[in-house]
This record gives sequence, structure tokens and C-alpha cells, in this order.
Amino acid sequence: MMNLSRSVALISLFLLPLLSFSFSVDNPTDRRVLVLLDDLSLKSSHSIFFTTLKSRGFDLDFKLADDSKLALQRYGQYLYDGLIVFAPSTERFGGSLDSKSIADFVDSGRDLILSADTSASDLIRGIALECGVDFDEDSSAMVIDHSSFSVSDGDHTLIAADDLVKSDAILGKTKIEAPVLFRGVAHSLNPTNNLVLKVLSASPSAYSANPSSKLSSPPQLTGSAISLVSVMQARNNARVVISGSLQLFSDRLFRSGVQKAGSPNKYEKSGNEQFATELSKWVFHERGHLKAGSLVHHRVGETDEPAIYRIKDDLEFSVEILEWSGKSWEPYVADDVQVQFYMMSPYVLKTLSTDKKGMFHTSFKVPDVYGVFQFKVEYGKLGYTTLSLSKQIPVRPYRHNEYERFIPTAYPYYGACFTTMAGFFVFSFVYLYHK
Amino acid sequence: MLAVKVSTVLGSKTAALNVKLAQALSSGSKGSVINNQELKFDADSATYFLDSFPENFDVGKYTFVFEILLDESAQEKLYITEAQTKIPIAATGAISIENAEIAVLDGDVGSVESQKKLDLTKDGAVSLSANHLQKLRLSYQLNTPLGHVFKPHQAFLKLKHESQVEHIFLVKTSGKKSELVLDFLGLVEKLYYLSGKYEIQLTIGDASMENSLLSNIGHIELDLPERPEKAAQPPVQPTDPYSRYGPKAEISHIFRVPEKLPAKQLSLVFLGLIVLPFIAFLIGLTRLGVNIKSFPSSVGAATSALLFHGGIGAVLNIKALSLLGVFLSFVGHSTLSHLASASNKLKSA
Repeated sequence: MMNLSRSVALISLFLLPLLSFSFSVDNPTDRRVLVLLDDLSLKSSHSIFFTTLKSRGFDLDFKLADDSKLALQRYGQYLYDGLIVFAPSTERFGGSLDSKSIADFVDSGRDLILSADTSASDLIRGIALECGVDFDEDSSAMVIDHSSFSVSDGDHTLIAADDLVKSDAILGKTKIEAPVLFRGVAHSLNPTNNLVLKVLSASPSAYSANPSSKLSSPPQLTGSAISLVSVMQARNNARVVISGSLQLFSDRLFRSGVQKAGSPNKYEKSGNEQFATELSKWVFHERGHLKAGSLVHHRVGETDEPAIYRIKDDLEFSVEILEWSGKSWEPYVADDVQVQFYMMSPYVLKTLSTDKKGMFHTSFKVPDVYGVFQFKVEYGKLGYTTLSLSKQIPVRPYRHNEYERFIPTAYPYYGACFTTMAGFFVFSFVYLYHK
Repeated sequence: MLAVKVSTVLGSKTAALNVKLAQALSSGSKGSVINNQELKFDADSATYFLDSFPENFDVGKYTFVFEILLDESAQEKLYITEAQTKIPIAATGAISIENAEIAVLDGDVGSVESQKKLDLTKDGAVSLSANHLQKLRLSYQLNTPLGHVFKPHQAFLKLKHESQVEHIFLVKTSGKKSELVLDFLGLVEKLYYLSGKYEIQLTIGDASMENSLLSNIGHIELDLPERPEKAAQPPVQPTDPYSRYGPKAEISHIFRVPEKLPAKQLSLVFLGLIVLPFIAFLIGLTRLGVNIKSFPSSVGAATSALLFHGGIGAVLNIKALSLLGVFLSFVGHSTLSHLASASNKLKSA
């Protein structure tokens, strides 16, 4: 008996530190990342990428994709905050991993980087499909672009892409000058899914086909509909990066110079390293992560929050929004945060003004409709986490004694009444005592 | 010029070698274009080079087969990894595009309704129109620098509707020229019965083509029949990600305007008008010569008279109505009976 309780205590003691080393609401950057490889030589061929991740404080755990001891959770707790799957040809994961457990991993709010390469197994395609990304069905197809290729490549499959999404949150403030080198498979995004977006798109002359055989029918994916690297931000703010090329992250392409066909600009270093580093900062929540404090509202001139408003009251509303800088919470500065005063549909929608210290405020008059309203802040910006806050407050009509006391239009009626009274009073004297 | 570098497995320089280009196998034709050509050694750059290619070396994909033999003068024990090294090479060149034209043909007869010459090196502004009974024909000729017919890997004609729905067709090369004929009668269903303006874009490209091109030729107005109910709907197009997010239009509540009341002055005027009869009454009374002479002089009666009138005034104030009512009836009775007895006395006297 003693042994059992002692061993339970020991086990929980070991688990306790594991629990404290994960991301939390106060510190949203991921810490522990599981890296699945289908070939351990990727550790050295992609060493620059992994070294930059380690230097930013990530705890990388390298495992082979078919390792039989693979597990994402133990005793109901997740062991990792992020997952990198650089195993494009793996048909089955080892251990307890499969596409459903990875989907659950993302559903729990954790992040994923998934990469295919010139070959993409059905397992990888299935995981990508869960996130709204369709890889080309033809397994021998690659992205070919006869106008946007790197001049060092003979058969135009090494694409020099520069059609990047315009978002400071996803790609950082510094513009990526050099094109990004890419060799791999094409994918397209599900058009009805509005959580995915293309980060690196192909040029209009690109197409996805087998480079060594002639085309017999038009290819499925052509032009700018081809996405080379896409991201998805789920509704619970989990972030997923899906890339069609594993070589994009390799040391060879990080270091190589690039010259796009038809362009005189020759760059010493491709944009790959900057692109991969900035994207990894975004996906692991080092950037673009917002947190909001509670919504505060009160009547003008008061400080306490009332339990109920009256129609046509003047009220002030404020909310605090902070942005995670990777190490600390900084005030968020933006001019497009809006608040709605909502009951079935918004009655008032106002843009909040900021004092640049993280507080957003505005004031307006309560509408003259009574009912139960909500203050709603629904904020979504490309690359940032979505904020969805609401607070309920009832609104009552005027009490009977809050109306105007005397109405000027009614003065004749008041006059009529009082003159009648006065007349009667005088008459009572006169009638009785007249002689 | 072809330059080849040979090194040991670890990358260092080798002894004297004999490098030969045994064959240059073209992917298209059989047989080799180059046979057993020996490469000369350039000591400065330590490469073996071939500076001229035969006349019939055209653009395209080749597999160069290199044979490396040890020079007779080599003394040490050296081993060569492979007898023949095969390397895929793409020979590129500028492809000439001639006689490019686009035409709308009439129905079965095939007579040309409108025809336009194209310059595919730049974007054009061709404007055509067709209905579903007509055909669209695009034709051009691609020639290699040596004059042979060239079949590019990528030869797409893209029709893009105003609603962003796209259709791609392959331009096939046969014989001397490349041609595509789009028979709209058979394509009506594929085009989802969408009539309107379609942009025409031609993309020609190949790994061995140095001047791959993408040309926006122009647009064509297509007049297609109405969609029947059972036909497929055009696919949903993705929304622009930049417009997905963004501030919404501001809404400010329009308060119910209170009913328009007459001006204050008007109300005061009417107040005056109302008070006027009262003043007239008072004036009338004084004209009539009313007086309050028979106000009782004895104290008891006077007090009750005062109280009576005070009570009436209080009633008019509508305060404590019920109690006043009771009080008033007593006092009133006392006063009025006193008055009645006074008048009775007068009458009898």
C-alpha cells in the first residue's frame, strides 16, 4: 500500500514539471515541439531551420515518423505544443499517431507545420484535406513554371516565387526582397473555406504536371489558383502551415543565390530563410496573438458599471487589447477595432479609438429601443487571432416620473383648469354674500 | 560551350583523364546526335570542354552519356566509379512563333466570320464575339532555331469569365502547325451556360524554350443559350482574403423623432385666450356691482364661513379629498343654514 501511494506521488511529481512547460493563456508561444521526420538525415540537411528554432527557445524533439513509441498525449495531457511533420512519404505513423489524432491536436488549439515534397503520401494528403488544402491528385505531378523559374534549374521545376501575401503579422515587417525557391507539389484551397489563405502563390503561367511526360489533358491546377505555401488559422486560433515543398526549408535552398528567369536582379541569398523563419514565428504564436481584457462600460460621469441602462443614456465603453511580442504583452495599436450594441442585429456600430496604450474606447447614446442588448467586439484581421467578446446589458424605457413634468403645449389646458377653479372660488363668495 | 569537371569521390583534383562524350541521346528521336566526341582539357580552369556542337543539335531534352577513361600516362592505382555517366541536359534556344491568328468560324460550314492576326510577344486587345453555333480557332507555328517543328510541354488556352470561372484547353501540335478549335456547341455545358465576356490568355512554355510566353490576347463575347434547370452550377469561387477581414460600415441609431409640437408662443397665446374669459367674468362682476356685504359679522359664523371657503379652495387643490369632503359637509351645512335662517328672518320681517 505504501509503495503504491509513494509511486503515484513520484509519478505525479514527474508529470508536474511537464505541465508547467506548455503554452498557457499568459504565455502563448509554444515551447515543446515534436518533429516527425521520415529520414533522420533531414536533421542535418535542414539544420539551419532547426537551429533557428532552437535559438528562439523551442524544445525540439526529433523522432522518426514510424517510431512505435510516438504519442501526442499521455494520461489526457498533451506532451507537445507544436508539431512539425516533415515526412512526406510516410504512409502510416507509428505509435498512437494517425490523421485523426493530429486533427484532434489542432482542435485542442495546438499548431502544426506540414510539408509535402515531390511525393506526398495519402496520409499527408488526408491531413491537409482536413485543413482545407487539396494537393494535386496526380502523384507524379510537380509545379512547373516556364516564366518564373530559377535560372539555375534545367527543367523549370525550381520555382522562384515572389507572390507573397501582404501581411505584416504573417511575414513580418521586413519585406522579403529575394524570391523564394520552391520545388514540390501544387495544392489548391477549398473555395468555401474562409479560414485558409495562400501565403505563397504561383504565377499565372504555372501549372502542375509531370515534367517528363507530355500532357494529354489540361491540368487540374494552373495559374495563381496554385498555392505553394498556405496557412490556416482555426476558429480556436490554432495555426497550421502547409507547404508543398520540403526542400524550401532545406539548408541548400536557404544558402543558394537566386535569379528569376527574365529578371536582371540577381540575389546572393534566396528569400527562403527569412520566409521560413518569419512563418515559423507566426505559426508558433510569437507574433500576431492578441488578448483582450474584459469589456468595461458605464454612464458618462460615473465609474461603476450599472446593472441596467435607460434608453437615451450616454454611455462610455472601453476594452483593453494586448499583443504578444514573443516575450511580453505589449499594447495593441490599430484603428479598426469596432464595437456593436447588438440585439438580434446591431443597433450601433462604432470604431473604437485608441490611446496607444492598449485601451480602446468610445461613447454613444443608448438607442431608444428597450430590451436585452449585448456589447459585442468581433475583431478579425488577416494574420491575427480572432477576438470574440460580448457582455449582456438590459435597457429599460423611461419610468413614469422621468418624462417632462410640464408640457408647454398643454399650457392652455392648465390655464383652463385653473381659471375654472378660480372662477368657482370667486363665485362662491359672490353668490353667498351679494346683497 | 559544354564544360565538364571531374573530381575524386572526396572532391579533389584527379590525374590526367580522357573524357569523351559518347552519345547525346535525344528524348524525342532515336539515335544519337553526337558520337564519341572527345573533350579537350583546359588546365587553367581544370575542366574538360567541348566548344562547338554539330549543326543538327537542336533544342530539346537530351541525355548526355560521358565515358571517362584513364589516360595511358597514369601510373597510380585509380578507379573510376562508373563506366558511363548519364546526365540529363536541356538544350535551350529561342523558339520562333509565326503566323499566329485567332478566328471565329461559322457553324458547320467552317467559313471564317472574323479573323485577327496576333503578336504573341505582347498583350493584345483583340475583341471578338461568338454565339454557341460558332467555333473559335487559334493557330500558330512554333519552330526551333534549326527550323524543325517544336512541340512545347505547355500550350494552354485559358478562357476566364467575368465571374472568375476559368476553362483551360490544350493546343495540340500536329504536322507543321499548332491549332485549337473550340466548338461552342459541344462546350456549352462545360462552360456552365455562362454568357458574357471571356478573357483569352495563351501560355506557351517548355523547359528547352528560352522565350516561354504568357499573352493576354484579348476577350471574346460569348452568347450561350439559357441554362436549363438540371444543368450543373458553376463552381464557387474563393473570396478575396483581403476583403474577408476589415471594418464594417458604422451604424448609428436613428432616434424616433418626437411628434412635432406647436411653438411655445402659440401655446402662450392660447393660454392668454383661455384666461381672458375669467378676467371678463371678474370685470363683469364688478360692473354688476356685486359685493360681499352680507358676510356674517358674528365671529362664530364668520369663522365657519371662512373655513367653508377655505375648504372649497382646498378641494380645488385636490388634496385630502375624502376627509375634506366630510369636513366640508358639516361646515357647509352650518354656514348655509345660518344664511338660510338669516334670509328667513329678512323675509318674515
